[in-house]
Amino acid sequence: MMALSRREFAEQLALMAAAPWFIEDLKAGPAPQQPQQAAEPSALAKALAEAIRLRYPDRFSAEDLATITRSIDGRLRAVERLYQTALTNGDEPDFVYSVYRGDD
Amino acid sequence: MDFAFLSIAELGTLLRRKKSSATELATYFLDRLERVGPQLNAVVTVTRERALAEAAQADREITAGKWRGPLHGIPYGVKDLLATKDYPTTWGAEPYRQQKFDSDATVVERLGAAGAVLCAKLAMVELAGGMGYNQANASFTGPGKTPWNTAYWSGGSSSGPGAAVAAGLVPFAIGSETSGSILTPSAYCGITGLRPTYGLVSRHGAMALAWTMDKLGPLARSADDCAAVLAVIAGKDPKDPSSVARGFRMMAVAQPKYRVGIPKNADTGIQPEVAANFRAALKVLADKLEIVEDVELPDLPYGAVAGMIIAAEGASAFDDLLKDGRLSQLTAPEDRTGGYPALAVTAPDYLRALRVRRPMQRALDDFLKKFDALAVPTRTTVANPIDKSFRDGWPGITGGANVIGPTNVVGVPGISVPNGFGVQNLPTGLSFTARAFDEAKLVTLARLYQSRSDWHTRKPPLAG
Repeated sequence: MMALSRREFAEQLALMAAAPWFIEDLKAGPAPQQPQQAAEPSALAKALAEAIRLRYPDRFSAEDLATITRSIDGRLRAVERLYQTALTNGDEPDFVYSVYRGDD
Repeated sequence: MDFAFLSIAELGTLLRRKKSSATELATYFLDRLERVGPQLNAVVTVTRERALAEAAQADREITAGKWRGPLHGIPYGVKDLLATKDYPTTWGAEPYRQQKFDSDATVVERLGAAGAVLCAKLAMVELAGGMGYNQANASFTGPGKTPWNTAYWSGGSSSGPGAAVAAGLVPFAIGSETSGSILTPSAYCGITGLRPTYGLVSRHGAMALAWTMDKLGPLARSADDCAAVLAVIAGKDPKDPSSVARGFRMMAVAQPKYRVGIPKNADTGIQPEVAANFRAALKVLADKLEIVEDVELPDLPYGAVAGMIIAAEGASAFDDLLKDGRLSQLTAPEDRTGGYPALAVTAPDYLRALRVRRPMQRALDDFLKKFDALAVPTRTTVANPIDKSFRDGWPGITGGANVIGPTNVVGVPGISVPNGFGVQNLPTGLSFTARAFDEAKLVTLARLYQSRSDWHTRKPPLAG
């Protein structure tokens, strides 16, 4: 099996919660849960998960929170790659806002 | 007469020649939906009353000589994320089991205007898989089953359309794809599925998972049937600002040769039968293809962009479920928590993903324009067993080329056709992908393959 690069690993983790088919499509090595289980989530991921717990204090088991924390951790790592793609100030999001004027 | 596996054109010929009637066809397929549908967990609601009314109207018009076109009097089903008046629209999810709308989705309106006869709301993965399901049992209707072997999944998230078309319960169906949800069930069920370019088909009245990635398209018996349906449902819709002012007309793109790119690793590290069927299919077309091996997509963060967009848009689309905790009512345990991590997505990160997608679109278009199409095995394996998680279904299969992901992020079209059988006698699929709005080219290639093969005419054991 090929080793996962940090980038590939981050992408797979980031997609786990949102789009399982992307996980299959990004297959480049071992199942993503293997490294995920070994890695300790970052402090930021833990803090963000805690914020979600505080928002819904009676909703999650410890296992739920661990799952949520791991997922956030993966997405945080994937975000790094978004910022590696060079953009200029003029590169706008891929939607166009239109002004509205109703009937007179 | 056995209508179950006739093409749209064949059924239309029977109607025009008065060898059958729309009412007879509707009754036939309604009975099959009710009898065989439950064995596949393929159906949510059989719309018998509406179907018979629409069929009666079609019969009156055909008798009077008013011919609306190739879909006139043809039965069909829709994935249960398309709004229809008078029947529930459940989105496959327990929290929406009683949900009703007072109007039809634009796609349903257009099919109705073409004279097609709505016979069923078909099963789907809950919320189109937006909460991160990892198993086939992710819908209140139970795991969708492929009619080729009911111990295996029909694919997601258009699980019902895939199984229903494959089992001859409807001649065609409408599914949706955010990331693989038309092409995957097409491959797992041995049918033809066409994912149109983003914006070619109106999303008005369809459940939103990710507004900027959702597409609606046909699943049917052949590329020709998909083209006939797409011609009816494509086009600008004032109710969907993202829809484009392009229709679809099937004009064969006849060329002496088609330049087809095979992405690097497309058939390595995948199930051997899938790889063998892929190469055999290319061989069938050998005299018409100029194959370029080992092409590589631009190295861009497709996965990160898609993950961010689906997470942010999905969390917003279902913010009511997140807020009131009704995610806990979903069927798959992982779906009950899968939406919460998205609450940690920041607005700048989401916007960054949308900004990165612009150069990504340009880069992928520059890449795709070198070819008439890319070709890959639609999935790297046959269907997953329904009693195992996706990760445990086919352990050790870690190869293949990632085409479904990147092409869905930028919204370009794809088509999957059946190209043989693999382990457990389960079907495999061949996909072609092309530049935006090159659906006619995809249909031409798929039609060419289907004119030289008969995989699309095979009937599954569970055909009633």
